Amino acid sequence: MVPSTVRANLKARLATITGLKTYDYIPDSVNVPGAVVGQLDLNFDATFNRGFDNATCTILLIVGRMSESAGQTKLDGYLASTGSTSVKAAIEGDVTLGGAVQTLRVTNATAGSVQVASTDYLAYRYNVELIG
Amino acid sequence: MAIFMGNKVAVIVGTTTITTFVSSVSLSREVDAVEITAMTDSLNNFIGGIERPTVTLEVFNDFAASSVNSLFEDALGSKLAIKLIPVSGTVTATNPSYSMSVLVSQWQPINGSIDSPASASISLPVTALTKATS
Repeated sequence: MVPSTVRANLKARLATITGLKTYDYIPDSVNVPGAVVGQLDLNFDATFNRGFDNATCTILLIVGRMSESAGQTKLDGYLASTGSTSVKAAIEGDVTLGGAVQTLRVTNATAGSVQVASTDYLAYRYNVELIG
Repeated sequence: MAIFMGNKVAVIVGTTTITTFVSSVSLSREVDAVEITAMTDSLNNFIGGIERPTVTLEVFNDFAASSVNSLFEDALGSKLAIKLIPVSGTVTATNPSYSMSVLVSQWQPINGSIDSPASASISLPVTALTKATS
């Protein structure tokens, strides 16, 4: 598994959601709605002789400022398990990420907030488990 | 040779190397303890009987042609050649190979759960075993 390829391909999967800006770095200022692909946490040696590794990746979905009532409505669409704006469906639409991994699964999404440029945004943290 | 990590075991089934699909392997060599305790003995007494080795594998399944599933499922009920090398690479006196014939007495083509990749955990009786150092 090549981390840079995995992150780039995760970003490409997220970009299939119309209107969602995608980043593979924490931006100084964010255009919402936006998704930031985080770094990989790696557990080496899932199989013998450097076969496959396990990894988890956090994706930060930033929807809108905390003061915007429309933020939660947008989140509902992204949080759905299916549909054209579903983050889980978009990522799992190609579980090999174009051959970058053996398989993956979006395991959970946790509510929270994130501060970017002194502004609090409504956000969700998605965890993705990868094997490759 | 010194202490070594057990994460580079080579697993070859027939002529196909499946090492990168294997997450755990063990070859257990066990000999029957045949009791020969006599009336005059004050302790139990035994002699070694027949060896009953077993090989245990945990593998990630793959239905691709000639991959893990077909190797084992097609051999179900018959014998299969398996070779294990402690550290993948050249076989030497300090890195011996174990070549064996196993009866494929079980296989798990379907073994999944929602939070883990499909895998199989099997224990197979060994019917012939050869240790080689070259």
